[in-house]
Amino acid sequence: MRSQNRVAIALVVIAGVLMLVPMLWVLALSLKSNAALMVDTNSVFDGVFTLENYAAILGDGQVFRWIGNSLIVSLGMTAGVLALSSLAGYGFARLEFPGRNILFVIVLLGLAVPEQAVIIARHQLFSWAGWHNTYPALIIPGLAAPFGVFLMTQYFRAIPKELDEAAMLDSASRFTVFWKVLLPLTIPAQATLGIFTFLSAWNDYWWPLISATNKQMFTLTVGIASTQMNFAQTEGLGFLMAQAVFAGAPILIVYLFFQKYIVQAVAGAAGR
Amino acid sequence: MRALVLLLALLLAACGPAEDDRTTLTIQRFFGACEAEYGAVTDIAAAQGECGIMTAIINRFEAENPDIRVVENIVFWPGYDQLTAQLASNDAPDLVTMHGSVISDYQARGLIEPMDADLAKIGIAPAGMTEAARAAITIDGRVWGLPIDTWAPLWHINMNLFRKAGLVRGGRPVLPSSPAELIAQAEQFEARTGKPYFVQGAANEYAGFTRNFYTFLMQQNGEPFADPRRADFTTPEAAEALRLFKDIYDRDLTTKNQDYSAAVAGFLKGDGGVFLVGTWMVGDFQAASEAEEGALSGGYAVVPYPQLYARDVTFADGHNWVMPADPDRTAAEHEAALRFLAFFSRHAFDWSRTGHLPVYKAMIDSPRWRALPHRDALAGLATSAAPLPKGVRRQFPIETIVGQESAAAISGAKPIPTALADMERRVNDILKNL
Repeated sequence: MRSQNRVAIALVVIAGVLMLVPMLWVLALSLKSNAALMVDTNSVFDGVFTLENYAAILGDGQVFRWIGNSLIVSLGMTAGVLALSSLAGYGFARLEFPGRNILFVIVLLGLAVPEQAVIIARHQLFSWAGWHNTYPALIIPGLAAPFGVFLMTQYFRAIPKELDEAAMLDSASRFTVFWKVLLPLTIPAQATLGIFTFLSAWNDYWWPLISATNKQMFTLTVGIASTQMNFAQTEGLGFLMAQAVFAGAPILIVYLFFQKYIVQAVAGAAGR
Repeated sequence: MRALVLLLALLLAACGPAEDDRTTLTIQRFFGACEAEYGAVTDIAAAQGECGIMTAIINRFEAENPDIRVVENIVFWPGYDQLTAQLASNDAPDLVTMHGSVISDYQARGLIEPMDADLAKIGIAPAGMTEAARAAITIDGRVWGLPIDTWAPLWHINMNLFRKAGLVRGGRPVLPSSPAELIAQAEQFEARTGKPYFVQGAANEYAGFTRNFYTFLMQQNGEPFADPRRADFTTPEAAEALRLFKDIYDRDLTTKNQDYSAAVAGFLKGDGGVFLVGTWMVGDFQAASEAEEGALSGGYAVVPYPQLYARDVTFADGHNWVMPADPDRTAAEHEAALRFLAFFSRHAFDWSRTGHLPVYKAMIDSPRWRALPHRDALAGLATSAAPLPKGVRRQFPIETIVGQESAAAISGAKPIPTALADMERRVNDILKNL
């Protein structure tokens, strides 16, 4: 048993190193001058490092605005998805109404429709509304979250109905039951959904690229991409890597803070 | 508490945007951002590189035109997805950078403005431009933009290795004048240096294949787009262009399996004699040749593609300013755009320091431009650089297909006739649906 544990630990360590090495490589490249990397990426090992690539990123007056935009969009989308998915999940799990199952299937079908299939229609719709280059245009499309509805529905279904009935016997309204009794029990699911939504919104590139065409409204992903010159992978490799680190750092911080929740939630979801 | 709220409100109001009655000129461009280094630079002569020079030109323009507020929208290269989205939502910029090979896609759909009258108004005559620059902006006799530059693939040469190979005469590289001479010189180079003659970025990279294919096809007077609506690649000339590079590949006279970055690094480290890449690398390699150490130290030359067949021609493209169609653009904004174009045109020499070929014949003939490193050797491009016929649309995706099929033929993955047939079919699938 002990030897099995050692093997398991060794495998985990190997997997961890394999995942860590590319990230360390990116970090190391980000600390090298572009000129040195253009000649030889092995110059990473010569011990000469610089912060000039990070200075170049921070020297762009727009970058903090782009971070702000990304935060607004990501937090707005996360809050919206949590609210809508919770309400929809509660409705599908607890309320009886005509066409409920058909409606649920229609929502789930949304999982099968790729963004690419609707992007032109969506762009035209927001164009017609005159909403491009606004926060609503960046947030609202992400609020349609079939996965979120599915996840929350399953969570609500797993909670015993006796809890609702007990609360109602105490004269609680349906909203009170939802808000004060059931919702607190779904916090692990909310955490999972919230993290995934936040990450997805933060990393989104395509929709912000074509909706936010004014640099004041760029999100961080679009903004830092815009600063790349052609052949950036050759002439600006260090800068490119610094951009990757810079854009990924907030996500890493979020993960570090919510790591416990994420693990618990995923484990809980698997258990159910 | 109420006083605090009032104070906060006043502070917020004070932080709001000040009244600005300047005309706003929105310029959308690629070439990257370098605000940290050049954000405040207005001395154009002190700027270096595409990004630096472009940024300094725009800064200087804004400094000299206090009645105009420039909004500079920098987009990820090449930025056409964003431009298309902007046009779809009636939010187009006033000026935008565009490759000559892309102009016909937008012009055919009425998405850019004709500029004959505008250029005449600011005193720019297309007749003074090089053939390639004029061709880039002219469709059906009308002018659709202001050329920024022309770029072409070049032979960047490691003169130190060429000397070792006995391929330098009178201080100049000895270049082939036929396919047979090319193979002979390349074999001599390989025998004396132990290195391949060519360095090429050929892995995950198709642009180089396309430029070679088009160039040597055109040198044989091949016309793959005699009808701009139909590609014709199943010709002896096309087969010969691929055969030449397959021969080079099979004889190991080129580096293999290097992507673009590896090829650049390889050339800088002396992996081979001739690097096939464009005008934009002249400055970097010249800088490497001025360094005290390195494979190129004191030994770099650059020339246009040598003439191996009947015609002296090199496939070329270029960057241009175009004005997207916008019914809401005011006369003042239009005027501001023209003032910028005139200003940019006056600083064409500064842009030519990027390594790209100037668009004005007079500048190419000027001692000032000729005094820049290697420009004398590149001046011939003024007459030999040639883009594809302007009527050919979708040139960007077509270039990818041509490169993919060329790569397949040269590496031996497909027989040459099969690759050419596939190339023709795939390209025509695109063109017939326009």
